[in-house]
Amino acid sequence: MSGTSSFATRRSLLVAGLYALSLASLAMAAPALAQPVTGGTLIYLEQQAHTNLYPTAGGFYPNSGILNQITDKLTYQNPQTLEIEPWIATSWTVNDTLTEYTFKIRPGVTFSDGTPLDARAVARNFDTYGRGDKSRKFPVSEVINNYDHSEIIDDLTVKFVFKRPSPGFLQGTAVIGSGLVSPATLDRSFDELGDATKIIGSGPFVVERETLGKELKLKARTDYNWGPARLAHQGRAYLDGITFIVTPEDSVRIGALLSGQADVIRQIQAYDEPQVEAQSFLIYAPSTRGVNNALVFRPDNPLVADARVRKALLHATNTQEIVDTLFSRHYPKATSVIASSAVGYEDQSARLAYDPQRSKKLLAEAGWQPGHDGILARDGVKLELSIYESLPQPQSKAMLQLVAQQWAQIGVRLNVLNADSGSIAVDLLDPLKTPVAHTMVGRADPDVIKSNFHPANRDVLRQKGGLSDKIKSFVDEALNGRLEAIAAETDPEKRLALTREVQAYIIDQAYQIPIFEEPQAFAAAPHVKGLAFDAVARPSFYSTWLDK
Amino acid sequence: MTTPPAVTNAFSGRGSGHLDRLRGASPGLVLAWLVIALVVLWAAAPALFTEYSATVGVPAEKLRPPSPDHLLGTDALGRDLFARIVHGSVHSLSGALVAVAIGLVAGTMLGLVAGSIGGLVDDTLMRIVDVLLAVPALLLSLSIIILTGFGTINAAVAVGAASVAGFARLVRADVIRVRRSEYVEAAFGSGGTYAAVLWRHVLPNSLTSAFAFAALQFGSAILSISTLGFLGYGAPPPTPEWGLLIAEGRNYISSAWWLTAAPGLVVVAVVLSANRISRAVGRSTP
Repeated sequence: MSGTSSFATRRSLLVAGLYALSLASLAMAAPALAQPVTGGTLIYLEQQAHTNLYPTAGGFYPNSGILNQITDKLTYQNPQTLEIEPWIATSWTVNDTLTEYTFKIRPGVTFSDGTPLDARAVARNFDTYGRGDKSRKFPVSEVINNYDHSEIIDDLTVKFVFKRPSPGFLQGTAVIGSGLVSPATLDRSFDELGDATKIIGSGPFVVERETLGKELKLKARTDYNWGPARLAHQGRAYLDGITFIVTPEDSVRIGALLSGQADVIRQIQAYDEPQVEAQSFLIYAPSTRGVNNALVFRPDNPLVADARVRKALLHATNTQEIVDTLFSRHYPKATSVIASSAVGYEDQSARLAYDPQRSKKLLAEAGWQPGHDGILARDGVKLELSIYESLPQPQSKAMLQLVAQQWAQIGVRLNVLNADSGSIAVDLLDPLKTPVAHTMVGRADPDVIKSNFHPANRDVLRQKGGLSDKIKSFVDEALNGRLEAIAAETDPEKRLALTREVQAYIIDQAYQIPIFEEPQAFAAAPHVKGLAFDAVARPSFYSTWLDK
Repeated sequence: MTTPPAVTNAFSGRGSGHLDRLRGASPGLVLAWLVIALVVLWAAAPALFTEYSATVGVPAEKLRPPSPDHLLGTDALGRDLFARIVHGSVHSLSGALVAVAIGLVAGTMLGLVAGSIGGLVDDTLMRIVDVLLAVPALLLSLSIIILTGFGTINAAVAVGAASVAGFARLVRADVIRVRRSEYVEAAFGSGGTYAAVLWRHVLPNSLTSAFAFAALQFGSAILSISTLGFLGYGAPPPTPEWGLLIAEGRNYISSAWWLTAAPGLVVVAVVLSANRISRAVGRSTP
C-alpha cells in the first residue's frame, strides 16, 4: 500500500508541477489568448469538391463547410447543450399544437447583395424549403415536415403554418440545410446553384471567387454584426478571408498541414492521427450526433428480404474488430441506430453482439446451405451481395473489405464495388444491384431517423413509392408510421419515447448494421484559435483567428 | 564445395553453342528473363512462395513493418503484402496476355485485310486507325471500361482494344511489302486462291515486327492495367491486383512507405524487363 501511495504522491506532485508550469506558460501567453487578432487568411484543405449549394443540400460535408460560413440561420443550436438560441430570429412563439411558429426577426440584417433580410425574405426561404419548387427543380428540405404556408405579419415578423404538428421545425431552422439566402438566389434554378458565387447569404463571409472543383476564396464582410446572440464574439469575423482548396489525397493534406502550407484540414484518417498529434497539432473530432455510420439493407432484394438473413449478417459483423483495426479513440463503436450523443438515444448494444455461431444457425434456419465453394446457397442461388464504396465515409473501402472478410467466415460473399459516380448513383437505386449500402446522416434532432429511413426523405431502405422506381414490393408501413409519429408528436417526452421505440424496431428488423459513431475529423495547426463546430460537426470560422 | 564442378560440367556437357549465347547475352537481358520467369512462377504456383492468404488477413497484425515473418510487412487489414504481390501476379500477367492477344489478333486481321485488298477498303480502315491513334490510349481504355463495366477482364479488353490500331498499322506496312514480292506473285501465278496465299505466304512473313511489338506491348499493357487498377477501374477489392495495391498503399506513404513502394517496384521491374526482352527480339529478327 505504501508503495502505491508514494507513487500516487509522486504523481500528484508531478501533476502539480506540470500544472504550475502550464499556468506559467499560460500567463506568458495570456495577452495573445485574451485578445484575438483580426486579419490573416486561413487555408482550409477540403477532401472533396462541393456539389450543388442550394442550402437544403448542405448535408454533404464539403457543401456545409462553405454554406456554414456564408449563410446565417434563423436560430442557433448550442453545440454543448443542444438548446435552440436566438440568431437572426430574436424571439419566437409556438402554439400549443405545434402547428404555428412565429418568429421576430432582428432588424438591420442584410444579405451581401444589399437586400434586407426581413420577414418577406425569410418567408420566401421557408416557402421554398418547405414546399420545394418543381419549376426551378428545388427539392423539399428533409428537415421541414408537414409545411403548409407562411404569413407575413409585419416587416420583421413572420408566421409559419403547418398542416399537422411539426415538433422538429424549431430545430430545423437551426440546421445547415436551412441557411437563409437572398431572394435573388432563389430566383435562379437549382442547376445554377453549383456555382458558389451565386449563393448570396447574410453570413460573416462572402464568396469572392471560385475555380470550380479546385479552389474557393471567401472574404469577410466588414459590416457583419449579427452573429448568434450567445457568442462572446460579435461584429465582423476575425479572419480577412478563407481559401478552400480541394485536396483529395489524404497524404497531401496531412503533409501540407504539417509543413505549414495549410491551417485546417478536413477528414484526417485515423491512421494519420499519431503523426499529427506527435507534432502537437490538434485533432478535432466532433460527433455528428445522427444516424451512425452503418450498413443498410435493401429488403426489396430477395437475398436480404428475410429478416433472419439480415440478423445473421448483423451478428457476423465484428464492429469491435473494425474499430480497433481501422479507427481510433475518436470513433466510438456504435451501440444503437443513432449516436450516443444524439437526442433520444437508447443503448441497443446487447442486441448487436458479435456472435457468428448464432449467424450460422439463423442462416441454416432460413434454408441456406454451404455450397461446394464454401459460399452459402439456396435453390442454386448463392448468398453473394454487392456494395459500393461510399466516398464520404472514412476508410469505407478498407472497412468494407474487413466486413467482407468477416462475412466470408459464415459463408457469405460481399463484393466491394467501385464505379464512376454516375453509374453508382443509378445502381444505388436498384436493390438488385446493391442489396447493401454504406451510409450515415447527421442531425441533432430525433427527426434524423426519419430523414434517413422515410421513403419521402433519404429512403435508405429503398421502399416502394420512395426515391427509386425499380422497387417491386418492399414497404414497411409499421416503420413509416413510427417515423411519421415522431415527426408529428408534440409532447417532447413522448417524442423521445417514440424515438427509442423506433431504434429498437430497426434493430429488431435488422434493417441496419450500426458500425461506429461517425465524427468529422479535422486537424488544425497550433496557431489556429477559436475553431468552432455546430451541433453536427460542421466547422464555423466566424470566431476563428490566427495566433502567428 | 561439390556443386561448382557440377555446374561447369553441365555447361561443357551441353556444348559450346549455349555457352556462347549465354556469354553473348548482356547481363541486363539475363536479368530481364529472370524477372519475367520469377513472375510467371509466382502466377503459376503462388503457394511455393508464400503460405499467407492474399485476401484474408489477421486484423490484429495490421501495418507491421517488413520482418522475417512478413517479408514486405502487412497492410491496414493485416494481410501479408508479399503474399498479395505474389498472388496478384496472375491477375496482372493474364490481363496483359489477354490485352496483347486482343491487340495482336484484331490488329493483324485489320492490317492484313487493309494491306492486301488495298483501295477503298484500305483507305477506310486506315482512316479509322488514324482516328484511334489520335485518341490517347488511356482515354480510349477509360471510355471502353466505362461502357463495359469494371473488372479484370474488362480492363484487359479495354487496354487490348486501345492497342489494336498500333498493330493494324504495323502489320499493314509489312503486308504491303510482302504482297508485292515475287514469291507471292508466283504463288498467285501458280493458281493459289486469294485466301490460301494470304494465309500461307503473306501472313507468316508479315508478322515478325508484330511479334516484337507484342513483346513491347506486353510491358505497357501491364502498366496500363495497373493504371486502371490504381484508378479503381480494374479488379474490385480485395483482389490483390498490383495497381490496386499501389493505390491502397499510398494513403500510408508517410507511415508505411513499403506498402506502395514494393508493388510499384515490382511493376517497374516487370515492365522494364518486358521492354528489354522486346528490344532483344527486335534486334535478333531480321
